Amino acid sequence: MTTQTSKKVLIDASRIMTEALVQSGADVFVGYPITPSNLFYSYSKERFPEFLAGPDEISVLQWMAGYAAAGKIPVTATSFPGLALMTETLNMAFMMELPMVLVLVQRLGPSTGSATTGAQGDLKFLEGVISGGFSLPIFSPSNFNDAWTLSNEAVKTAVKFRTPVILLTSKEMVMTQKSFDINSLESIKKVDRKPKAFEPPYQPYKVGEDKVPTFYPLGNDKYQVRFNSSTHAEDGLIHKGSPESMRNTIRLREKLIERVDEFSFYELDADEGAKDLIVSWGITADAARDAVANLRASGKKIAVLIAKTILPVPQVIYDIIDSYDMVTFVEENLTGQYKQLLVGKRISSKYKMVNKFGSMIRPSEIEAAVN
Amino acid sequence: MEAEKILIKKKMPFCPGCGHIINTRSITKALEDLGYGTKDVAMVSDIGCSGLVDPLFASHTIHGLHGRSPALGAGVALGLNNRKKKVIVIQGDGGATIGLQHILEASRRNIDMTLVIYNNLLFGMTGGQVSGLSTNHFKDYKQSADNAEPYDIVRLSHQAGAAFSIRVNKMKSFNNVLKEAIATPGFSLVEMTSLCTSYSMKKMSEFQYFTVDEEKLVNDRPIGHTRIRRTKSLFNNLEGLNTQFSSNYKNKIGVVIAGSAGGGVQSAAKMLAQAGMLAGLHVSMKGEYPITVGTGFSVAEVILSKEPINYTGLEKPSAVLIVTEDGWKKVKDRITPDSKVYLDEKIGVDDGYTSKAFIKNAGKKGAALSAVSYWIKESDVFPIEVLEKVVENHKYATSLKSAIASGASL
Repeated sequence: MTTQTSKKVLIDASRIMTEALVQSGADVFVGYPITPSNLFYSYSKERFPEFLAGPDEISVLQWMAGYAAAGKIPVTATSFPGLALMTETLNMAFMMELPMVLVLVQRLGPSTGSATTGAQGDLKFLEGVISGGFSLPIFSPSNFNDAWTLSNEAVKTAVKFRTPVILLTSKEMVMTQKSFDINSLESIKKVDRKPKAFEPPYQPYKVGEDKVPTFYPLGNDKYQVRFNSSTHAEDGLIHKGSPESMRNTIRLREKLIERVDEFSFYELDADEGAKDLIVSWGITADAARDAVANLRASGKKIAVLIAKTILPVPQVIYDIIDSYDMVTFVEENLTGQYKQLLVGKRISSKYKMVNKFGSMIRPSEIEAAVN
Repeated sequence: MEAEKILIKKKMPFCPGCGHIINTRSITKALEDLGYGTKDVAMVSDIGCSGLVDPLFASHTIHGLHGRSPALGAGVALGLNNRKKKVIVIQGDGGATIGLQHILEASRRNIDMTLVIYNNLLFGMTGGQVSGLSTNHFKDYKQSADNAEPYDIVRLSHQAGAAFSIRVNKMKSFNNVLKEAIATPGFSLVEMTSLCTSYSMKKMSEFQYFTVDEEKLVNDRPIGHTRIRRTKSLFNNLEGLNTQFSSNYKNKIGVVIAGSAGGGVQSAAKMLAQAGMLAGLHVSMKGEYPITVGTGFSVAEVILSKEPINYTGLEKPSAVLIVTEDGWKKVKDRITPDSKVYLDEKIGVDDGYTSKAFIKNAGKKGAALSAVSYWIKESDVFPIEVLEKVVENHKYATSLKSAIASGASL
């Protein structure tokens, strides 16, 4: 939809993301209302070809798994309390290798916390959400353009890698309205669901070099399909502890880790000769961008890295961090969850942190930390 | 043409004499009798002894979590949306207890699928513990101290709207009952008695002493579907707000508007933001109000800027417009020495702030817009005509214009 003429509108990222998900080929939204994800629910009710109001978050994700197994691309949006209920089924969908997209709108915890206050506090939970050391692809939009492109990438990645994908965002990102030229957005193509070639005979979890099995839905007339949540081998049946089934399970990590370059998104804006790097993600990225502009105006050489593929961590993120003398991590949680993900909990003279709990981090707070 | 065999293994992974053997055979026999081919059936299995069935079937299979298989099966059935394909869910009485909500939901929606509950009155895989479907008589036998009455899953699913709900205890009836259930359009539930030779009796004749009487209940209802629609882009109906006017402002200004629920605070803020866009400015807007949206304060923030806006926080508002006491209490601490404050006269605070009769002149619903209008005129951020332009095609254009005029005339 890129055109020469602009169309400026007052819009929020929930609308942008919902539209992008549908244009990317998502078929059905299964929702259970929870603040601050409710705009997704109301936009999806209007826009998705199919919409279902689930009775609870466990049902929501189970229905989605059923839809995905039947060949559809399902989507939901929730916040931490909902995610907590979805966790067992998220593991199931990951194990069955079912494509789906979850939008997680972070709000202030713990527990029910403050439903209408934003946060970036769920990353640590997501890092370990799949039992055993597996990573789900997690993308975090840092502005409206990301909201559009990463929603598209989420659907593409979910289908290409047969996995649930999480779009990790927060209240201020998806509920704040801004002026925006919607005609500046790149056009989106619907994902291709045509089953990829495979070496016969078909087995539901048999893979080639790309380590992703060819998808056929339940009910198809060609091949018997078996999906399985328990430890299984290529045939989709339980083989407890067999080398084949263990290899199949470990493959679930490898297929994503080894090919992370195919879905590595980030933004690096660096002055030549800069020794200081600011690292941020999600809602805090815009404060970091403003801080960088202000620091530059005062004559400082500076670099800013906005991470968009949060998990699995692309190697390039480590490489960038390693190439600066001083790195300041900026995020809206108590302990620096992204910082911990990258460089651990240990305090080091190379790392600074700007953290806040219960309100947005200001550009001035980042500038003060860097200077 | 001979029907395809859905049961591919005669040797089953169950204890000798286990009721699950005959139950499983009865299901596949019923499907074969009804003429279903292997690719027409999706078997959904749960956790527990009944969850070991997948390798027995030549059909499609999906093996999920404890108790959740009726929800998983519901998703499959809705996703397939095809009367020629049959979704069969198999779970035990433990699964039916933990996943009771899913059974009620599938019943309520009358989703086209069949749930078969292998009820052996206990958790066989974990040592014979009692479930929500264990009868009190059986619990006494198991010396369970918990004697709460069991769920009647047949009546519950019927009450929730299932097309067909039945409890069957006699093995010789299994095949016919299953055929009737599977052939019923909509949601059918079959609770089948199943003997656990490890943790209950060795003989069915003794075990049946503990079971609930057979019962069959039907609801004549259409199959529950979702509607699949063609929809239009969420961008289609958005109002284009390309620049039509110019603004006198060079910098970034933040405006806080505060009032009470139902007082038009959020819509006044939106109109200010829209006007800012028409005047060629970048804008951001966010609202804050209690979870119970119909009462208490309502606060909105609008940032207007010549440059694109990244960070949307507003620590030092240039202007604070307050039209009610609720609004005053909520935002009074956000006022800085540099903030220009405009209050409704009724608030009665005298700190050298500008006090105007917004409510008196424009009414409770128009006061916030009236205050915005007054501020635009005072600050000269852009001509008042821009705000008038915003409301021009609004369905309440007349009253909005009058609120704008009242503010501008103060």
